[in-house]
Amino acid sequence: MASLWKDFVRGLWDENPTFRLMIGLCPTLAVTTSAINGMSMGLATAFVLVCSSALISLLKNLIPDKVRIPAYIIVIATFVTIVDLYMNAFLPNLHQVLGLFIPLIVVNCIVLGRAEAFASKNTVIASAFDGLGMGLGFTWALTLIGSVREILGAGSIFGYRLLPEGATTLGIMSLPPGGFITLGILIAVMNMIAARQKAS
Amino acid sequence: MMNLFVILLSALLVNNFVLVRFLGICPFMGVSKQVDSAIGMGLATTFVMVVASAATWLIQWFLLEPFGLPFLQNMAFILVIASMVQLVEMFLHKTSPGLYRAMGIFLPLITTNCAILGLAIMTVQGNYTFIETVVFALGGGLGFTLALILLAGIREDLQFADIPKPLQGAGIAFIIAGLLSLAFSGFAGLV
Amino acid sequence: MNESLRMVVVLSVIAMISAGILAQVYGITSVIIEENQARALESSVFEVLPGTTQVNIIRRSADELGVDDTKEMREKEQKTSLIYQGVNDAGQVLGYAFVGEGNGYGGTVRVLVGVDEKSNQILNLKVLEHTETPGLGSKIEDEGFRKQFVGKKVEDPIKLGQDIDSISGATVSSRAVTEAVRQGFDDTTAVYKGGK
Repeated sequence: MASLWKDFVRGLWDENPTFRLMIGLCPTLAVTTSAINGMSMGLATAFVLVCSSALISLLKNLIPDKVRIPAYIIVIATFVTIVDLYMNAFLPNLHQVLGLFIPLIVVNCIVLGRAEAFASKNTVIASAFDGLGMGLGFTWALTLIGSVREILGAGSIFGYRLLPEGATTLGIMSLPPGGFITLGILIAVMNMIAARQKAS
Repeated sequence: MMNLFVILLSALLVNNFVLVRFLGICPFMGVSKQVDSAIGMGLATTFVMVVASAATWLIQWFLLEPFGLPFLQNMAFILVIASMVQLVEMFLHKTSPGLYRAMGIFLPLITTNCAILGLAIMTVQGNYTFIETVVFALGGGLGFTLALILLAGIREDLQFADIPKPLQGAGIAFIIAGLLSLAFSGFAGLV
Repeated sequence: MNESLRMVVVLSVIAMISAGILAQVYGITSVIIEENQARALESSVFEVLPGTTQVNIIRRSADELGVDDTKEMREKEQKTSLIYQGVNDAGQVLGYAFVGEGNGYGGTVRVLVGVDEKSNQILNLKVLEHTETPGLGSKIEDEGFRKQFVGKKVEDPIKLGQDIDSISGATVSSRAVTEAVRQGFDDTTAVYKGGK
């Protein structure tokens, strides 16, 4: 039980995919123009991560070593397409906003990375917890970036207005440059917190 | 002809894959510490982009579309890209050892570069013709190379700068990328 | 078992199972996706043609579109070959709506434009789809920008800088909408008014 907990929390902070490992950066920057978009993208990725990690771990003894990467890719692509189709059917507005970056979960290095580094060596349950931790670690990071950009760029958070209508906002934060700069500064902040933690 | 030029320019500058569309950020951050490796990575990616987008175009319009299998698009494309990367690697290894030494180490990384899958999906969504697809891929690849070389050039010079500790490495690289992206937004309205 | 044979078998089995599952999921979802799209468009027609309770769809033929190349035809057909005629409870034709497209900053901008049957003036405009920058280009959805088109006739210039003001900081997006209206208005009026 204790080890499952460890598998779960690892992704939240120590090996946070966004701030510590710095992988899966494309959606991190592209869809985080608002908090809700960031969170949705994170949850979609988390779903794929949990399912594919668990299934790959289940199949690990059946798959010959030499073809494991193509096999993993097929499994991941299947789950991604399922998410893509269901989202298009039941959440069409969200699907339109996230657009291209839903099918691109396939090439998100986090998913294949966890399959190769963790799921192919561990039990089904442990792999699922690892996937969930990584997925939620990714989700909170994207939600945070989305929140910062939405507050500064549009003066609202999760769609609720914080500033009065017509107030001057930093429109640049919603634009691509704002994405890069926000992530750069947040990484620096996370580095500072990690350094403090280490020191104490 | 004019149309092709617009597609090229748009993919290269106005909608630069890395700085505006946010595709291929991982290699953009990972392989931009030195100009030499940036050039190698950029050209290898451009090459794979052109070959892979041509292949995925054929698959889409001669296989998936006629047989009513659009839901297999994602899986088919990523497998084609992975095999293309493998083929290019084998081909270079046999025919041009020099080029292979220069590009070889980057090739396996290219499969998970989302710029390539993204490009393949965009050309299908945009209903591009075969020629348009190839030109779009070329523009996108060269745009990726350009962004990579620019960032690598700046990062090389930064080695001697006194950067606050938490910002060192990725932090400052992202902020520079932000400034480059800001500069590229000046191209908006060009086409 | 021979090793390479085993590799092929395992990969093929995985691929076949995946394809089977996806075919099922696609079968379930594609119906809903199409329904959603049709319903969304219908309710948009209600918005741009006030008073409408029923929508007739008029298909334009290839001749009327003036294209013979098959690929071009397919594109046109997918996107803009339909005219939506709005009818009220009494069976009276109130007007027609069309979809126009323009190239924006982030991709294609699609707008639905409603035109009054009698006066031939634009009644309302709705942005159906865009990938413009939130906070800047997305202002094309705002009332202030859209109402500039209301009352325009096909004879009017409908040109950015002449009778339509651009949103500051979002010239490309503003131009995309203006061009979408202009182009669609020309095409549709010719067919709808001439072809009947």
